Order: sequence, then structure tokens, then C-alpha cells
Amino acid sequence: MSALLACPKCRAWLLEGVFNRPDLGPCPSCGIPLEIEVFPAFFREISPGQSAQPVMVEGESSCFFHPQKKAVVPCAGCGRFLCALCDCEFGKEHFCPACLEAGKSKGKIKALDNQRTRYDNIALALALLPFLIFYFTIVTAPMTLYVAIRYWNAPRGAVQKSRIRFILAIIIAVLQIGGWTTFFILVATKHT
Amino acid sequence: MDEANYKRLTRERTPRQFTIATVSRVSLWLGGDHLLLVERSGFTETYKRFYFRDIQAITIQKTSRRSVWNGVLAVPLAICLFGLVVSLTSPRNTTGMVVSSILVTLTLIPFLLNNLRGPACACQLRTAVQTEDLGSLSRVRQTQKVLEKIRPLIVAAQGSLSPEEVAARMHQAASPQLGATPTEAPPASAPPVLS
Repeated sequence: MSALLACPKCRAWLLEGVFNRPDLGPCPSCGIPLEIEVFPAFFREISPGQSAQPVMVEGESSCFFHPQKKAVVPCAGCGRFLCALCDCEFGKEHFCPACLEAGKSKGKIKALDNQRTRYDNIALALALLPFLIFYFTIVTAPMTLYVAIRYWNAPRGAVQKSRIRFILAIIIAVLQIGGWTTFFILVATKHT
Repeated sequence: MDEANYKRLTRERTPRQFTIATVSRVSLWLGGDHLLLVERSGFTETYKRFYFRDIQAITIQKTSRRSVWNGVLAVPLAICLFGLVVSLTSPRNTTGMVVSSILVTLTLIPFLLNNLRGPACACQLRTAVQTEDLGSLSRVRQTQKVLEKIRPLIVAAQGSLSPEEVAARMHQAASPQLGATPTEAPPASAPPVLS
């Protein structure tokens, strides 16, 4: 990334006048009102990654993945010794690449979780959308119940904690099933 | 960071301008040590985390979206107002008057909301490796409120810079490029440097 900031509109580099102001100021080049809040991280140099040191003394702890390299830290997930090259520092913990990948795929490391399917929304949509063509509810109501029960414990959204959508979907599905059951009982009793 | 501790900073809104119906909606949330950008597309949510220690800059650029929406909304509003005036002037036309009043109200509300929300803007957040559009921050007033909430947290993680310090460092960073020999000069596609 460049060490300079450009105007989002005219792409001219900005050197002064619009930084850390309390309100919007004009871009010196195109005049468009701008406000740019710059923080110290902007001027921070990115430090180069560490290189792994070779094992110097016989019997010295070595990396699980690179036996010729000196171990510097154990993995917080599996306990294997890691060299500086394999050490993935995450927050305050150190992981090996395999544990990091496993943590991401299994959703054990919350901060690596970057996508979720909202089964509660699926259940609610299955319960509500077929109201447009009511006959579909004979199929979708059991499907709604299945989705709601099957994924009751699945992770919901990162910011959505409640199961209210699941509960609503179940209530609506139960009412729909109840309606259909009543309908079939009435038809059956009418014919007999 | 416990997920339950997220606080909403913005409501869900469409990330692009002038889209009325879209499958994608974004919202911004405040975590203990980061901002969380949630993009909901269909039944899937995608999360982007911006840690306070990594945020380099936040850019707010005023846009003309409010004026454009005013233009778009003014046409049906004018037509409905004209209808209302006609129905008011013609006697015994109660139905027309009621219908016109409802239509005027329906067109006036979005027009008023568009103006009450203040000037429109586009907001970008920059880190060392990305520049992300914060699509849910679309009004200057709202964006400045959010900025007031997150600024102390970023300052606590990084420290602060005065406008003079930023300008001095920008000049310092720009000086090698301004004093570059022709062979070291940036390519023609690079943005011009303002003195």
C-alpha cells in the first residue's frame, strides 16, 4: 500500500487540509468535501517475518514440521513444537498451520469464522413464503419443522443470538400442519 | 471476544447506491477490539473484522446521492400535489381528495426522510492490506456519530495524531517521490502529487 492517501474522487494525493479535522473540508484538487481520519497505524512499518533458526546443538528441540529448524514455541492446539516459520500467532496464542486450518473449518476459532449459513432464516422463509400459494404449505410445513429441529443447535449469526426465528417458524409450521390435519379430518368425516 | 458482546452501529442497508431491491445487505457492529462488517446475502452471512490496532484511516466523502434522490422523489410528489390541488378545487370530490392526500403522504414521507437524514456520503476504511467500503454508513451525520464512538477505541489501541503531525508525516512521505529523478518517477497512471 502507498504511504500517501489519495482523494477518492480525483485520485490526487492529499498532503494536508483534510486530515483529522472535526468536519468535512474540501479536497485541494477537486474541491469535493472530505474528512479523513488518519491513525498512527498508517505510518507504521510492516515488520518482515521471522526466519527459522537451524538447530545448532545436538538434542535441541526442533520443529515438528522442519526437524532441522529450532523450535521456538509449542502449538496451543496440538502441542507440537514449532519453528518461527510454522508459528502462526493468533491473538495471544500460537498455532501450527494445521490447527489453524482445523479451527477455521470446524468453527472452533471464532475470530476466523467469516461465513455462516442462517438456518433460522431458511426455516422462517420456508414457513412464511408459501403463504403466497397456500397449497405449498402441505410440503413446506414439515420441511420447516425438519430444518428448525435439525439445525436448532447450529451456530446462528455472529451478531444474532436468539432462536426467535426458529421458534416463530416452528409455531407457524405447527399451525399449518394443524390446519391441514383439521382439513383432512373434516373431509374424511364429511365423506363418511 | 465473546460474540454476544457486539453492539449495533448501523442498521442493515444495501451496499450500493440507488438499489431498492437487492439480495445483499450490510451492517456494522462494534466488538471489544474490532469492527465487524456483516454482509447478508440470501441465507448466508459473511463477516469482515477490522481490528482497532490495524485501522489506518477512515475516509468520509460527501456525495450527491441526497440531491439525486430528491430529484427522483420530487417528480411523483409534484404530480400527487397537483392532483391534490385539483381535487381540492373541484367541489364534491371527496374520494379524489382522500386518494390524493394518501398519495401525497406516501410520496412526502420518503422525500422528508431523505432530507432529514442529512447530506449523503461514502465511507471507506483503510488497513495495511485493504480499502473497504462501509456501505452501511451513507449519511454524514450518522457516519460522524459512528466515528465518535470508535475513535476513542482506535486511539486507545494506537494513539492519536494531530492534523499538523499527519500533514508533516505526509509531506515527509511524499518528499522522496516529489524529489525523485525521472527514472524513479511513478508511472503515468499514478495519481498526481499536490504541492
